[in-house]
Amino acid sequence: MQGGEIQTNPKWNNRRPQAPTAKPDKSSSGRPQPSCQTHLRFSIPKMIVRKFCMRQSRQLLAVSRRAPISTRFQSTIPTTLGEPVVPAPPQESEPILQSEPIPRAENPLIEMMNAQSQAKTPAQQEESQRAKFHKLGTSVKTSYDPENILRNPPKPSQVTLEMLLAAGTHLGHSTSRWNPQNSRYIYGIREGVHIISLDVTAAYLRRAAKVVEEVAARGGLILFAGTRKGQKRAVVKAAELAKGYHIFERWIPGSLTNGEQILGHCETRVVNALDEELLEFKADLADRPSLKPDLVVCLNPLENVVLLHECGLNNVPTIGIVDTDADPTRVTYPIPSNDDSLRATALIAGILGRAGEAGQVRRLKMAREGQTTYKPVSATELRLDPFTGLPPGGEAQKK
Amino acid sequence: MGKINLTALRVRQTALNQFASGKTSNLPQWVDVVGDIPPAETLIRTRPSQHQLVQQRLKTITGSTKPQVVFEVQEKRRKPKKPSRTFMPVELKYEEDQLRTEFFRDHPWELARPRVLLESTGKDFEHYDWSRIEQPGKRLDGESVVQRQLWLLHNVPDISKSTAYDIARREFYRLRLREDIQRRVAAEEAAAYGAEFGPSYMDIGMKQESEQYDKWVAWARNQAQIMGQRTAALSGAPELATESTETDVVEADESDEVATQ
Repeated sequence: MQGGEIQTNPKWNNRRPQAPTAKPDKSSSGRPQPSCQTHLRFSIPKMIVRKFCMRQSRQLLAVSRRAPISTRFQSTIPTTLGEPVVPAPPQESEPILQSEPIPRAENPLIEMMNAQSQAKTPAQQEESQRAKFHKLGTSVKTSYDPENILRNPPKPSQVTLEMLLAAGTHLGHSTSRWNPQNSRYIYGIREGVHIISLDVTAAYLRRAAKVVEEVAARGGLILFAGTRKGQKRAVVKAAELAKGYHIFERWIPGSLTNGEQILGHCETRVVNALDEELLEFKADLADRPSLKPDLVVCLNPLENVVLLHECGLNNVPTIGIVDTDADPTRVTYPIPSNDDSLRATALIAGILGRAGEAGQVRRLKMAREGQTTYKPVSATELRLDPFTGLPPGGEAQKK
Repeated sequence: MGKINLTALRVRQTALNQFASGKTSNLPQWVDVVGDIPPAETLIRTRPSQHQLVQQRLKTITGSTKPQVVFEVQEKRRKPKKPSRTFMPVELKYEEDQLRTEFFRDHPWELARPRVLLESTGKDFEHYDWSRIEQPGKRLDGESVVQRQLWLLHNVPDISKSTAYDIARREFYRLRLREDIQRRVAAEEAAAYGAEFGPSYMDIGMKQESEQYDKWVAWARNQAQIMGQRTAALSGAPELATESTETDVVEADESDEVATQ
């Protein structure tokens, strides 16, 4: 009976036109054919008969199956006459239904099938799976995020010794590289490395933060300089907070001592106490010398000797991170700390930036109330000739 | 002024002097700031803190029921310190240093295990209680043994160092064994569920090594050929060279025979 069906199947004929009734060829059909096919056609030995009967009896046992048993044991190629091959779950579930008449609503299998049949897009399925998955395991509450120090630096009042310790500010250099002028910042020697005293670091850091805040509150120009690889973002963030200026590339020697040549093309502007630009003074800025910072914060004084020297020549106070191998007299306010760890320098820059932010907030608040902590420049002063100190056209009047 | 450049430390004085002498027309904004918050006394040397090794023990003293905490300070050296070293920083010493060296001398491969050096807040020690060796959020390692041993020395009356070491070590070994079993079971479970772990590091290493051997064999064969050709070329015609060696061998054999006879 199977052979006849196969022959009538047009698909099969198309695929194997030469020998449709020959032994099933595994290589061409792809699916394993039941071996009983050929035996049925030519001879029926006893064993095969027994098998055949078993199959028939099984068929008899399950009369109520949706698909006739013949389709199950035949070639699995879908026939045009019969139903398409039914998937496994309904076939398995039906005997249970027969044996135990559970009402449809209570049967968990039915519910499961219903749930499966309810159309869910793959995206929704993934979502639900993810929701299930995320319920599992533990939740990590406090974890270290290196970006946190850059995004949200702490305030000077939040500085703790533990914070400094975690940032590694206490690690100095090898004892052989020390600068004896730093001896009062050094707590001891450990494994051949000088350990910087954390309480001294915290004290000097707070002092420096206070200076930054006060200078910012007096409307001073603050320059943050960190020219080491990787300090860029910390420097920019600190300058952003303190409304200051930043250098993360090389300090061009002479930028202070020879400012007209190097920074002459740079833009300057006149602002009022509320930081609003006053455009009417634009013309008066033409002959002005380049501006000088009121405070320089240097994250790596070892590489920026020229900058600090120029600050000394121009009488600009400086704040610097001083490691055990640096010279603390190069800067006005040293902060003894590890300057090789990016985390440590980022922390210190962030704290100083926050201090500057506080100062700026204070200054703007006072300005809104009509007060200033500094002596403002009057319009006539601004219009004076920068070289002679006389009002414009004053020389002509003199003559 | 000598070698020390005090310009940076004297910015305020310089600014005031320049203003007084008329070099600058007005004082900078920061003058009163620097006056209020003066720069630190950088160059004043202070005697650094002299760290001493202190040992803490709990001891029962005859006549009292309660054990007492006893602190033992390491004896001072007989030889006085050189005067030139008065202002030099001193080595930091802690009691657990010796315990640590001892542990890692006995278990050198513990140093080969990966370790977390990062501290997120610096307050990890607050969560630790060394009355037991396992700590939340800390991997079991040699440092756990050291800290556990130190806790025992501080808190158990009349305990000797070696006893404390043995207790801490035994706890450590037991947990390490359990870790091994956990790892093995997890691997078996994963394999049962169809995980494939790929070739092991040993297999990869052996493969690379055999590749290198094969390369060497090819190179050596080539070299041998080159050397053979060179010797042949040096002795004139290659056929002659081979013939002559053959005859030499034959002659030598004959001479041997003669000698034996």
